[in-house]
Order: sequence, then structure tokens, then C-alpha cells
Amino acid sequence: MPDPSLTALARATRDALDSVLAGHDDAKTGVVLALIAREHAYLEGPPGSGKSALAGALARVAGARSAQIHFHRDTGASDLLGAHGLRRQRFEGRERLSFAPGAGPLAAAEVLILDDLSRAPGEALAPLLHVLSERRASGASLPLESAIATAGASDLESYADPLEPSQLDRFAVQVRMRGLLLGRRFERARALLDRPEPGALVPVLDTETRHALQRAAAALEIRAEARAALLRAIESLRRAAGDEPVLLSDRAFARAAPAILRAHALLRGAPCVEPIDVRALRLMLARRVPEALEPHVAAILEDALLENSPVAAPPGAARPAAAAGEGGGAAESPVSVDGLETFPAKIESVAPRGQPRGEDDAASVESLVQALLGRLERGAVARGEDSGGQPRGWRRMRRLDEILDADPVEALLYTEGRSPGGARVYRRERRNAGGTLAVLRDVSASMEGRLSRWAGQVVAGLVRTGARRRMRMGYVEFNHEAERFEAGGAFFHRRYRRLLALASRRRAEGRTNYEAPLRSALHELRKAAGHERHVVLLTDGVPVLGDPHVRRERALARELGVKVHTVFLGLGECPEVLDEISRETDGGCFAVRPQPDGRVTVLERRMSARASGG
Amino acid sequence: MKHGLGRLRELLDRHVVGHDEAKDALLLALVCREHIYLEGPPGSAKTRMAEVAARGSSLGFFFYQMHRDTRLSELVGDVVLERRALPDGDGERIHQTTLPGGILTAEICVLDDVSRAPGEALNVLLRILNERKFGEQPIPLLTAIATSNPLRDEYYNEPLDPANLDRFAIQLRVAGLIQSGNRSLARLLVDQFADGRVVEQPEPEPVLGRADLDALHVAQSRVAVPAAEKDRLIEFLRRLVVDYDCDETNSLLTDRSFLVKAVKLLRGRALLAGRDHVSGEDLAVLQWMTTFRVPEEVHEKVPELLEEIVA
Repeated sequence: MPDPSLTALARATRDALDSVLAGHDDAKTGVVLALIAREHAYLEGPPGSGKSALAGALARVAGARSAQIHFHRDTGASDLLGAHGLRRQRFEGRERLSFAPGAGPLAAAEVLILDDLSRAPGEALAPLLHVLSERRASGASLPLESAIATAGASDLESYADPLEPSQLDRFAVQVRMRGLLLGRRFERARALLDRPEPGALVPVLDTETRHALQRAAAALEIRAEARAALLRAIESLRRAAGDEPVLLSDRAFARAAPAILRAHALLRGAPCVEPIDVRALRLMLARRVPEALEPHVAAILEDALLENSPVAAPPGAARPAAAAGEGGGAAESPVSVDGLETFPAKIESVAPRGQPRGEDDAASVESLVQALLGRLERGAVARGEDSGGQPRGWRRMRRLDEILDADPVEALLYTEGRSPGGARVYRRERRNAGGTLAVLRDVSASMEGRLSRWAGQVVAGLVRTGARRRMRMGYVEFNHEAERFEAGGAFFHRRYRRLLALASRRRAEGRTNYEAPLRSALHELRKAAGHERHVVLLTDGVPVLGDPHVRRERALARELGVKVHTVFLGLGECPEVLDEISRETDGGCFAVRPQPDGRVTVLERRMSARASGG
Repeated sequence: MKHGLGRLRELLDRHVVGHDEAKDALLLALVCREHIYLEGPPGSAKTRMAEVAARGSSLGFFFYQMHRDTRLSELVGDVVLERRALPDGDGERIHQTTLPGGILTAEICVLDDVSRAPGEALNVLLRILNERKFGEQPIPLLTAIATSNPLRDEYYNEPLDPANLDRFAIQLRVAGLIQSGNRSLARLLVDQFADGRVVEQPEPEPVLGRADLDALHVAQSRVAVPAAEKDRLIEFLRRLVVDYDCDETNSLLTDRSFLVKAVKLLRGRALLAGRDHVSGEDLAVLQWMTTFRVPEEVHEKVPELLEEIVA
């Protein structure tokens, strides 16, 4: 039984956070649990939702020595682990140059605030996050107890790189925060207006009491029923997610979850960890399960609390799947603009087992998108300067910390003040992202049901990979005429979220015409700068309107150097004209065939290879 | 000397639940003095296993977490500048050398997240691994253990090119116990942490001495390879090339790996199994050698193929 006074302290800590921020109960509980469990927390939400305020308040209330790192586009390893000092030592009559890491903000912090984490270049974070999980730096133990990271919503339109799964996994607690207004909690928003000005925060804890809390939590026994419930919950989550990527890592769920459950039990004042503490898992899941599954998490966890509950997706999770299943012919399926990952294919995957889940579809969509991507990247030689790239030459240093990458002799001369212009450093380059992509999707009457859904998934896949490469994208739906979807008055844009919403639309009407969409896209591409320009044409039919051979468009594509990739869906013969377009423009040509057993196979028609070989 | 290995295996089991295959492969790499590459999703104990295996053998140890800004000097040691006045007294000559450190002085090293390093550091690093010398100087390195996340879109790492991967004789995929749905092991794992047994894990103590390792290495070289097993090895390679269309474009079946290193690994496995000669079951090491050297769909067929050949 934990000391009741400790539970009271833990609750006081939790309640003290109420004075800085209204609502957001999960986030507040989450950070307190993280502190007691000595785990790290990740808060995600739009600007102004109080993420940073909450992180700062926790550090203050916990009476912890804290440090804050504010991330930005150019954040590098030295900002995180302390600037490296250039050390020069006499060494056997020679001189030894070494770069010694400095103390850095990490050295003394007990609570570390990583503000706007997602703004840092994703890959620069690896060393920091390794330190977070090891809690050691340069061979010395750190006093670090918890790191609280904040990040903007994972929005492909902002500049931020999404964090990698391996980085996110270091944060046991993961909570998504929504603003009161956009969360449609108007009553709470109204109540906020009546709140008195918050007073100054006073520390509730100090280092000693914090450690006492942490020790008390770690000593709590986890009863067998609670372990069984935890395993049931993990298993249900895993199954319910189906083939969607989930991040149910051993590190998070075997190592961190018991600690979080213990902290939860302590906060409840329970004598040991009981099944009910498994509810705390909800605070670990924001970025670990597919967004479509989130509304069902509470139900899955509740089911897991019950002994003998079947380990399977709960009936509640099946409902949206049924809706999506019959949505094939419907004009439009609802898509939450909130989450990029939300499109019906995802929802489908929470269907209970035994129903066809289209897992092969997902795999084949993936393989097609990958194949197209290979095509898009072929010949993409444009390189841009990037500090993680390969050295391609030399340039003058611009910032002092670049001395780490300088020619050592020049660095020495510079430090001696003998070359005031700065030392030469590597000019590092990496293949450029970007390029322009027009996606043309057939929505003629034959394109219905499964084909339409499949085409939508391919478009969504293209949008997401395009977003990762910051491609400018245009989208056209066509039957006998072409409908262009512009954003902000431009045909090519980076409004990926909007494109994803469009990708999930279902409509099937009219007849097929290749000429109109190609003409429309090519005329736009003529205006678009850059030399990486691509068109992907998704169709299931033979053109019956317009020029069936699209001669003018093919000539225009060749003239502009635009690559046209074609994807033919369905059982019929792939029209020869598609092969020709692809061959002439050096694009890829793919055929996608539904099989009688419900699977889909993707074939790359190697027309261009054969033609160029002969 | 076997006891030492047994103790190392126990140490691994104490620190990491499950992953029997990877643990066996690590021991094999130590005995055969080959490099090993582990690929797997985040949080699947790759780094932990590598670190325990490395620290558990009392060898000079070097751990390095690769990152985007990895500089060569962090891997091989500091830069040393020598400045000498020119004979005519007018000016000086600056000469640059490296003071060996890091991987150049280690006997065993863990290269965490190896695919993240920028190309140039990686190329030099892997050349060192391959040649086991730096410049003209031989280095004491016995075994390098590298880990990496899977090369997928959501990661920022860049795929290692096949030639670089070839430096690692043994290559394995590691899966998370929870993620792969292994319920009994997941339960064990949760129990281990729920019991609070591993909350503050001490640094593993060395349990396998250098002398033992040397003796094991010698013993390995003395394991007999019967003609029948040599025939089977060639038959396996023949089938890969002839029946499964492995060629230069899709595979990396080099003579060095499969005619030299493979034999070493066969012997090593026989030794670990307590035999003084190689037998059919030892061909299982070929599964670890082909993980990234043949196309994925061919690698899936390897167990079948081995069964056919041994039968």
C-alpha cells in the first residue's frame, strides 16, 4: 500500500496543472504519469492548444530543475547535446585536435522540455533520442527523469518532418491535444472566459518528494489479473489494427506500460496495480495506432478489463467498416479533414476477422505506389544542399558550428586568426525532393465498387509519398470530361490534405475520354517550372470519346519532357495506346488485375524497357 | 571454453526475452570473428542484444550511435596535426594524421543505426570492417555488430547498398515479440518488467574471456567439413543460381562470402552444437547468410530448399 500522503501529493501535482490550462484532462494526467513513471511524454496538437504551457507548468509544479530546447529547422546534434568545443592539445610534439562535447542543456535537467520537436530535421534527432532512452551522455548518468516533447499536429502541409516511428517510440506517453473550439467543446470554451487570471504556479513537489513518488510507484505489485488484462489489451489493439502500421513495440508495451500502469495505480491510491489501471494505456496510443482506430480505443480497453473477454476487435469497431464496405457506389464517403491517415481503406482494416479485409489490396497498393515512386525518382538528379548529404565539394563556412565539418588544417588556421575568411567546409548535397505530379483518375461508370476504392487508395498512396517529397501535385478526375481540382487558384499545389479527402471520394458516371484530362494536365505542366514533371493516369476503360490515340497530347508530353505513367485497372485488355504513351514519354506502364480469389495483382508492363533495348 | 559461451548465452537470456535465433547468431559471429547485421523495428531489443553480447565478452568495446552528422573522426579517432618549419626557415609544413581511437582500437564494436551515417563515413567504416586494417595498420577488431531499422518510407535512413551489406557475413531480421503476435513470449516479457526485475539493469559483466574466445576460434578452424557437406553447399548455391535465377542484378553471391565465410560459419555452428565435424543441419547458417543477399521471395524459400538438399 503506498503511503496515502504520496497519493495526495501526486493528485495535488495533477490538480495544480488545472490552474494553467482548462480541459485537456488526458494530457495533464499523461504528463504526471510520465513523471512518476520516469518515462517521456509526447504532446501533439495545433498551435495554441497549450502544449508548451502544460510542459512548462509540469516542470514548475514538480519543482524540478528544467531545461527547454526550442527546435527549429536548423537544429543539429550540437544544439541538443551541447556545443562541441575544439580542443587543441600538445601531443608528442604534434598537436591533437579533438571535438569535445560540451555539457549542453541535458546535463542538469530533471525535466526536459523539447518544444516543437517536430520542427527539427527528423534525422538530426537520433542522438538526442538515444540519450533520452539511455539517460547517459558521454559516459555519465544524467539526472533526467522525464522529457516532455511538444509537436504540431502531424500535418504534411507544414514544414515539419514527421517524426520517425523509432523516435516516437521513445515517448511512452503520447497524447493528442485539441483546441476547445475545434474540438467543439463550446461550453468548456465559454467557461474558460469566466476563469480568473491564473495565479503564479508554486511547486508542489521537490526533488526528494518526486523521487519518493517514483520509488513508491515502482514498488507497486502488478497483480496477475492486471497483467492478463494488459496482455489482452495489447493483443486486441494489435488485431484491431489489422494490417495497418501500429507501433506496439516491446520497448513501449513490455517495459514502459507496466511503469505507466504503476503510476496510474499510485495516482488512484490503489494498493497494487489492478485491471482498471489498463485504462491508462489510452495515454500511450496517440501515434501508435492508426487514427481510424482511435475512437474505438476506449471500448477495446474496457473489453480487455473483463476477464474471459474474447481477444478480438470489439463489435463497436466493425460499424465503420460496414459503412465503408457499402460505400463503394456512394457519392462521397465522409473523411475527417483532421487526420491525413484517415481514409476508408484504413477504416476497413478494423473489420473483425473473418470478413474480407482487403489485406492483399493494401499490399498491392503499396507495391504499385512503390513501383511508381521508383519511376518518379528515376533520373531525378537535382541535388540540393543538405547537411546530411554526401560531400560534393568545398565552400566557405557560414556558421561557427560548421567548423566541425571543416578541413582540419584550415580550421586550425582559422582558430589562430590566420584565415579570417573562415575555414573551408564540405559542401554536402543530397538528392532533391520536389518535382511536379499530376494524377489523372478515371471516374467513368465502369469504375465502381472495388476498382474505385482501389484507385482511391492508389491516389492516396501517391499523395502521401508525394507529400513526403514535397512534390507539387495536381489532381484531375475524368470521364467524358475532365474535372480539375484546384487549390488557392493553382492547379499544382501542396494541399495534400485536400487531395487525400478527394482521393476517398467515390463516384462512377459517364464514359471514358483520355484526351481531355491529358490536355488539361499537360497545359498546366507547360506552365510549371522544373524538370521533374510527371503524370500518372489511372484508368479502367478504353477511350470512347476524344482522340483515342491522343496524338497531340503525346507530342506535347514529349516536347515538354513530361513522363506519363499509366495504370490500367481491371480485367480487360490494356489498351495499346497506354503502352505507347508510356513508352514514348519514358514512363511506367502498369496493369492491375483483380483475381477470382479476390486478390489483386500488379504487373509492370515492360514496354519502355523492351523498346529502348531494341 | 564452452562454459564461457554458455555463460554468455545465459547473460543474453537474462537481459533479453526471446529472440533465440538472433542470440545464436551473435554467438556464432563471436566464435567465427565475422560481422553481423541485425535489422528490425524500433524497440525490438536489437541494440540491447548487441550491447549485452559485446559487453559480456571481455573485449575492448566501442559503442557508437550513428547519426546524420556522424563524422569520420568520431569513428576512427582524433585528427593530429604536425607542424614542422621548412628547412629554409620560411614557412611551415602541416601534416595531418589520425590518432587511432574508436573502431580502430576496439576488439568488438556495436554500430547502432548503421544506415543513418552519411555515405562517406559509412564507406570508410565499412572498408575498415572488411579489410580489418586502417591504412597499412592492422586493427584488433574481431566482430562488429550493426543494427538498423527497416528501410521503409517513414524512416529517414538510406538503404545500405548491397556491397556494404556484404561486409556483414551474418544478416538477420529481428521482429518485436508483441508486434509479431508471439503471445507466450510477450507474456514472459511483460512479466519480466511487471515483476520489476529489470527496472534498473546493471551493466552486464564480462563472462567470456579473451583466452576462451581465442580457443574457440582455433577449435572452430579444426572442425572437419566432410566432402558430403561441401557437395551440399555447392548444390545449394547451384540451385540458387540455376533454379532461382539469382544473378548479379538481383543477388550478391560472392565467392568470398559463400566459399570462404560460409565454410567458417558451418564449422562455427558445428562447434556450438558440440560436434567436431559439420553435418547437414549446420547448413541452416545459410539462411542467415542469404537474408539480404538474395531477393526476398527467394530467401523465403531457403528453408525449403535446405530441407530438400539435406534430405
